[in-house]
Amino acid sequence: MPLKPGRIFATVLATSLAGQALAQESVTVVLSEELENVEPCMASKSNIGRVILQNVSETLTELVPGSGLQPRLATSWEDMGGGTWRFHLREGVSFSDGTALDAADVVFSLERNKSDKFVCEIGAKYYGGFDLSTNVVDDVTVEITSDPAQPILPLLMSTLTVLPSETDTEAFVDQPIGTGPYTFDEYARGQHIKLSLRDDYWGETPTVASATYVFRSESAVRAAMVAAGEADIAPNIALQDATDPATDYSYPNSETVYMRVDNTAAPTDDVRVRQALNYAIDKEAFVGTILANGTLLSTGMTPPSTIGYNHDLAPYPYDPGKARSLLEEAAADGVPVDRELIVIGRLEQWANVTETMEALTAMWQEAGFNINLQMVETAEWYEYYNKPFAEGGPYIVGSMHDNANGDPVFSMFFKYASGGTQSGVSDPVLDDMIAAATAATGDERKKLWEDTFAYVFNDVVADVFLWHMVGFTRVNERLDFEPTIKTNSELQLAQIGFK
Amino acid sequence: MKTFLGKRAISSAISLVGLIVLVFFLSRLTGDPANLYLPVDASLESRERFREINGLNDPLILQFFRYVGDLVQFDFGMSVRRSEPALDAVLRAFVWTLELAAITMTLVAVLAIVVGSLAAFRVGGVFDRIATFFSLIGASAPDFWIAIVAIVIFSVGLGWVPTSGTGTVWHWILPIAVLFIRPFGLIVQVVRGSMITALSSAYVKTARAKGVKNRPIIFVHALRNAMLPVVTVIGDQAAALLNGAVVVETIFGFPGVGKLMIDSILQRDFAVVMAAIFVTAVAIFVMNILIDILYAVLDPRIRY
Repeated sequence: MPLKPGRIFATVLATSLAGQALAQESVTVVLSEELENVEPCMASKSNIGRVILQNVSETLTELVPGSGLQPRLATSWEDMGGGTWRFHLREGVSFSDGTALDAADVVFSLERNKSDKFVCEIGAKYYGGFDLSTNVVDDVTVEITSDPAQPILPLLMSTLTVLPSETDTEAFVDQPIGTGPYTFDEYARGQHIKLSLRDDYWGETPTVASATYVFRSESAVRAAMVAAGEADIAPNIALQDATDPATDYSYPNSETVYMRVDNTAAPTDDVRVRQALNYAIDKEAFVGTILANGTLLSTGMTPPSTIGYNHDLAPYPYDPGKARSLLEEAAADGVPVDRELIVIGRLEQWANVTETMEALTAMWQEAGFNINLQMVETAEWYEYYNKPFAEGGPYIVGSMHDNANGDPVFSMFFKYASGGTQSGVSDPVLDDMIAAATAATGDERKKLWEDTFAYVFNDVVADVFLWHMVGFTRVNERLDFEPTIKTNSELQLAQIGFK
Repeated sequence: MKTFLGKRAISSAISLVGLIVLVFFLSRLTGDPANLYLPVDASLESRERFREINGLNDPLILQFFRYVGDLVQFDFGMSVRRSEPALDAVLRAFVWTLELAAITMTLVAVLAIVVGSLAAFRVGGVFDRIATFFSLIGASAPDFWIAIVAIVIFSVGLGWVPTSGTGTVWHWILPIAVLFIRPFGLIVQVVRGSMITALSSAYVKTARAKGVKNRPIIFVHALRNAMLPVVTVIGDQAAALLNGAVVVETIFGFPGVGKLMIDSILQRDFAVVMAAIFVTAVAIFVMNILIDILYAVLDPRIRY
């Protein structure tokens, strides 16, 4: 048979592309950005969490959507009083380096989060504002005490990734060792991360034998990779790329969009002005136009699935006439309503953020506000969002807040207590309500958070609540997997099957 | 020549020092890395600890002298976000960029010179019209759009090449093809214009009168004399690629230095920013010196 260039080319091409075909038991996940590091104590960052959390490193407890707090490395826990909780560890668990899990590893992992050699995101995000001390009762029992007492300590332990006590205390690890079902095999910087299934995992053996993570920052490319069969899961694709109903899932992604209002500076220190800000916005007009269908109108800072979310609250209706009359009423009482307000938007915070901010600003202008928009990049945005607030306000700061942890405590102190880093409110009554709800348990906790949500929304009218967002993930049709609210922060390979 | 090279090296070193000073202080004006590195809800205590660990609480001038002290030992510091030496991250990325730029510019130079020369040989002819039409489209087409369309057609639609990434020779095809288009279009136009001038000069007419054939007239007599402006533009385009083909790197997931630099600027990862600028600046200085040498090779009248 004569050799023809076309035939040779086709053969080489077929051979090469065959090598890229997805193996039956392996999955490829395409993430939106490269991981800065693979340190388990940074796993609260979404892209790190999607690789590490519960795949390589496990936590003592686990918050499961729809089921609440579940055992993971701890089989049970009990409140010993005085801020102390006792955790009973699962027996027969080993790390991927073969060493056995014991209580000392839990103590070590907790202390490492407060290292003075580096700053861990989990420690900085969840363990601030109180002291944690530990007591090893025996190899599989550990007591953790918080001062002041934290009724949600078991929930907080759903964020603690447990490492072996031999882990480096001077620097981040680049080859994480965990108790999870997968070993961390390789991180080729800029190219891929590979995990493979352990044969000595304590739990049920997952179906997925290995996983490769690659990184593409462009949403259209991530979507194209799944369409072309090069990848299986592409979390966080843009609305305009979610065009295939067979592969594209939308789901509440635990993000809430709101406009933080400074309640301490005129004219937004007047409740009528803040009410007018709420009445002036036609929130429904955004849904299905520049925001995805399925986006929900919000009345609180956390997703509706959160404990204590007040489902009785109704969003402010769109009523520009009422907004104008409230402004006139405030002006008649000497409130300087004609003072310029600046809307601060953060570039690229979500798809169509600039268009959203422009439309909001136009609606407020229409209602009679002297208001203008300023879009800034992330670092500058923090200067407006975090205390001490930038001078020259009052500013109305657009933000999107993520709470996938199921409890408002992760949001409400920072956003509404007088000492909260991003709080535009200074209200002793609200401070007391947040403190009481934080300390309560069970049904009382639920009730107190509901009351707190109502007080923030109806009485203080602290902010302009806008939407609970939805996210889009493209999933290869060969997989038996449906994304959930947790996909925003983790992606458990053990939950993935093949059709 | 040695004197010239010495002078160029000294002037490049002075420029490099100025660049380092400028970038060091300007980058520090852009905001506190603690705000970007730590979660929004991080406590003030955590932020303070972060600044302390990373030496950000020291006076700026002290930070600068410490940086210079480390730099003379070729220590560019640690990347705050990536937890690895900044120079390691940059050099790893720069190798990808260098390979991408070298392959692309070699293809561009060879093909643009051939096409531009042939187009200039019969101005207004069919080949000239086609070459001019496509080179103008190439020079003005946006990379971003071409890249996405190429992925949709050749990867998703036809399945000929991978959408993105690295790993096989096939992964290089789309990034190189997309990067190729714009400089190719531009350089074809420059070669064509320069060759039209050269082909109408007296020495070409003399060569023709002496019966020299077309191929040696174009590629020996005229081309060498037309090459000076072409080399300048090729150098300019190559420098742009060495700085990183940000759009192409971003879309095709190519781990090059351009995307690394942009990400590091946005994330206030100062050590990586400084190392990336240092490495690319040195590369561009070296390339400019090589271009100066090439001028002397092409035109014997140029002597340093």
